[in-house]
Amino acid sequence: MTSTLIETEDRREYRATRRRGLAVDLSMTLATVLAALAVGFLVILATGKDPVAAYEALLTGPLERSFRVGRWLEDATTLTLLGLSVAIPFRARQISLGAESQLYAGALAAATVAIFLPLPPVAAVVVPLVAAAAAGAGMGFVPGSMKARLGANEIVATLMLNAIVVRVYDYLVNGPLKEPGSSAVHSERVQQDSVLTPLTDWFGIPLGRSNVGLFLMLLTAVALWLLITRTPLGYRIRMTGANSDFAEYGGIRVPRAIEWSFVIGGAVAGLAGAHLVQGVYGRLEPGMAGSLAFEGIVVALLARNNPLVVVIAGLFYSYLRAGGDIMEQQTDVGTEIVVVIQAVIVLLVTAQALPDLLKRRIARKQAAQKQVGAR
Amino acid sequence: MNESWHAAGPAVAARAVTKTYGNGVRAVRGVDLTVPPGEIRAVVGENGAGKSTLMKMFYGLEQPSSGEILIGGRPRTLRGPAAAIALGVGMVHQNLMLVPSFTVAQNVVLGVEPGRRGLVDARAAVEITARLAEEAGLAVDPKARIDEVSVGMRQRTEILKALHRRAKVLILDEPTAVLTPQETEDLFAAVRRLRDGGMTVLFISHKLREVREISDQVSVMRAGSLVGTVPTADATERSLAAMMVGRDLSLDVDRAAARRGEVTLRVRKLGYEAPTGQSLHRLSFDVAAGEIVGVAGIEGNGQSELAEILAGLRSPTAGTIHVGGTDTAGLGVAGHRRAGVGYVPEDRLHNGAALDESIADNLVVDRHDRPPLARRGVLHPKAVRAHAERLIDQYAIRTPDPSVPMRALSGGNVQKVIVARELSAGPRLLIASQVTRGVDIGAMRFMYERLVAARDDGAAVLLISADLTELLALSDRLLVLKEGLLVGRFDDTAGLTEKHVGLYMLGVEHHDDKHLTAGLAAGEEPTP
Repeated sequence: MTSTLIETEDRREYRATRRRGLAVDLSMTLATVLAALAVGFLVILATGKDPVAAYEALLTGPLERSFRVGRWLEDATTLTLLGLSVAIPFRARQISLGAESQLYAGALAAATVAIFLPLPPVAAVVVPLVAAAAAGAGMGFVPGSMKARLGANEIVATLMLNAIVVRVYDYLVNGPLKEPGSSAVHSERVQQDSVLTPLTDWFGIPLGRSNVGLFLMLLTAVALWLLITRTPLGYRIRMTGANSDFAEYGGIRVPRAIEWSFVIGGAVAGLAGAHLVQGVYGRLEPGMAGSLAFEGIVVALLARNNPLVVVIAGLFYSYLRAGGDIMEQQTDVGTEIVVVIQAVIVLLVTAQALPDLLKRRIARKQAAQKQVGAR
Repeated sequence: MNESWHAAGPAVAARAVTKTYGNGVRAVRGVDLTVPPGEIRAVVGENGAGKSTLMKMFYGLEQPSSGEILIGGRPRTLRGPAAAIALGVGMVHQNLMLVPSFTVAQNVVLGVEPGRRGLVDARAAVEITARLAEEAGLAVDPKARIDEVSVGMRQRTEILKALHRRAKVLILDEPTAVLTPQETEDLFAAVRRLRDGGMTVLFISHKLREVREISDQVSVMRAGSLVGTVPTADATERSLAAMMVGRDLSLDVDRAAARRGEVTLRVRKLGYEAPTGQSLHRLSFDVAAGEIVGVAGIEGNGQSELAEILAGLRSPTAGTIHVGGTDTAGLGVAGHRRAGVGYVPEDRLHNGAALDESIADNLVVDRHDRPPLARRGVLHPKAVRAHAERLIDQYAIRTPDPSVPMRALSGGNVQKVIVARELSAGPRLLIASQVTRGVDIGAMRFMYERLVAARDDGAAVLLISADLTELLALSDRLLVLKEGLLVGRFDDTAGLTEKHVGLYMLGVEHHDDKHLTAGLAAGEEPTP
C-alpha cells in the first residue's frame, strides 16, 4: 500500500524517476569518496602531519611515473578478478569467502603446468590458465556442493577450506616445489613461453609487472556480465539469490544454481592465481596473494555485485592502495590512512539506506510541489 | 482511566486527517469521520484505500501528518498504542497478537494483572476472564492454552483483553477473515451485545454482506479519501461496491455449466506425514478437464500441504497422483510443470515472486530456458521484454514499464503477474490457492473471470480458498478438508449454502467413505 505510487505513473514519469535514482546513486558514490577523503584528511591533521603533501602523494602519485601506473594496473587486475570471483556467488546470495583457497589452487595448477609441462607457444599460455580455472572451480565446487546438498554453512566451509589450502600451498612451496639450490623460498620460474606478455613490451614504456592479464580480466568481467544478464544459468543464479523459494517454485533446481555460482566464482579466482604466477611473479612465492582475497570481497560489495562495476571499483581501490604505498614512501604518513579511507567508504556504501533516504526526500518534495501546483 | 471523556461528543473522530508516508505516498487524504458512541460503524474500501492506516492512527500506531484525531470528544495526540489504550481504545488485529504459551486468562490480564506486590493472582485472572466472557457473550475457556484453542477463541480472547482494559472503542480489523460462518454469527451476536452496552465498534471489512448484517452505518473509503457514510439500511452490496471502486461493479460471475472432459488430476489414497503442520490422510479425488473443484476448510487443515504436494514442492509419503496420465508423485517442480501443472501459491510474497527483480523476469521463471526466450544457451532480453509487454497488456497489469521491480506493485497487481505467468503457460491443471487474498475488488473480479475462462478452455482447476462465498460462486464441485481428511464432497454446488458447508468444516457433519469415493475409478493406474 505504501508503494502503489509507481504503478500509476506513466512511462515517461517512470523513466524520469529512474534517471533521477541513477543520478542520486552516482552522486552519492562521489560524495562517499569525498567524505572518506575528508575523514582521512582530518585524521592526518590530528596526528600533526601535513595532509596536503600526503594527499598529493596519495592522489597523484600512482600516475606520476609509468612504472607506477604498471604497479597499479597489475594490482587492479588481481584484485578485480578476486572481486568478480565473489560477486557471482553473492548474486546467488551465497557468502563465499573462499577466494583465497581458489586462488592458491589456481596458482599451484598454473605453476605446475607452466613449469613442468613443455607445450607449444600459444598452448603454453592457455593451458596453464585453463588448468588454473579448473583447479579454482574444483575448489569452489567443494564448499558449493556442501552448502547446496548437505546444508553446510558456506561461510564456515569456505573459511576452513582456505585454512587447509593455504597450509598445503605453503608446504609445497617450501618443499617439493621449491627451486632446488635456491636459498630463498620460491618455486622455479615458469617457462618463457608461458609468461603473460608484459605491457612494457607492448607499449614500449616501462610498466612494471603489469601484463596482458589486464585484458584477460576485462574480458572475464564482460563475459560474467553476459553470463548473468544473458544466459538461462545467469537468470537462475539471480533468481536463486533474489528469492530461493520463488526459484524453487518456478522449477529451478536451486542447489545446482548455488553449485554453479561457486564453480564459476572459483574458476575466476583460479585465473587470478594464474595471473600472479604467469604474469606478476613468474613463479610461486609464499603468501603471494597477501590480503587481496579479502579486499576482493570489499570490491564486490562496493560494486553491488555487478561485474562491470566491479572493474571500476577494483581500479579505484587499487589506485588507493598504490597511492598509499607512494604516500608512505614520500611522506611520513603511513599506509594506515588508506585503510581508514577505505573503511569509511565501505561503511558509507554498505549503509544502503542513505541513498534511499535521499530519494525519498526528493520524492516527497516533488509531491509537495505538485500539491502546491494543483492549488 | 477514561475520566477525560466528554459525555456528549463523538466517541472517535478524525478532522481533516492526512497521512503522508516517508516515500511520498499519501495513504489518507483529508478524512473527516465522526463515530458517535454506541454505534457499530463499518469502514469498507479496497486494499490500499487507507482504512487500515486510518485505524492505526486511532490506535496510535501511526501519527497523522496533518489534521487531528479526536477520542472521547477531545483532540488527542497519540504517541503510541499505550496512549490509545489509556483513552479506552482497543484494537483486534488481523494477525492476532497473543502469547501462545499462556492461557486465555493470562493473555486477557497481560499487562494489567490482578494481584499484589508483583505477584499475579492466577485465580482472580480466571475469574475476571470468566466474568468478562459471560457479560459479553464471548465463550472462552479461561484455562486453555492459546496455542491449543481455535482461531475463533483466540480472537475472542483478544476482544476480552480489550474489555479488561476498559475499552470504550473497539477496532476490529477484518475479524471474520479467519472464522467459519458459525463463528462469525457468534461474533456478531457478541458485538451487538457490546454495542447495546454502550461500546463503539469500528468494523473493518471488505465482505459487504457481513457489513450489511452487522453495522449501523457504513463509511466507504477510496484511494485514501472518505467517499461517504450511509446508513446500512439504505445500502445494498451493489451500491457499496460501486462506492468503493467508483463505478458500478458486481462480483457475480457469469458461469455456464461445466463441460467436464477427461479426468485430468487423479489423486488416490494420498498420504503425507508432515514434520510440522498438518498431515494428510488417504485423500482420493478426481478433477476433470473443464471443471473447477473447490476445496473448503478452515485454514490450516491441510489445504496448503495438499497444494504444495500437487505442485511438486513437497513429496507425498503415500498414494498416487496422476496428471493427465503422468505419474507426478516422484517428480520435482520442473517435472510437474512439464506435466502441465500451474500453481498460484497461497503466499505470493513468500514464493510467488522475487520482489526485487523486474516484472519481466518474474514472468519467465518457468520458461526462461526455452525458445522463444532462450536459444542455444543465450537468453534474449528483448524476447523477455516483449513477452512481458504482451502479458502486461493481456492481463491488464498496471505498470509503466516491464522493468519495474515487483516490490513497487500493489497486492492485486502482483497477483495479476503471477496469474498471468501461470495461465499463459496453458496449464492442464491449475492449482489456485487463495487467489484473491488481499486483492481489491477490481482485481478479484478479474481473477474470477480468468479462472472461469481457463476452465472453459479445458483446464482442470483446483480452487483452494478460505473464502466460502468465493468457493460457492466459482466451484462446479466442492470438497471439504478437515484435519487432513476429506470430510465432505458436493458434486452439485447449486443451492449449497455457506452455513451447510460450514457444518462440514467444523466437523459437525461429514460424508461417509462411500459417498466420498463414489464414481472414482479404483486402482493405481489411470484408465486410458
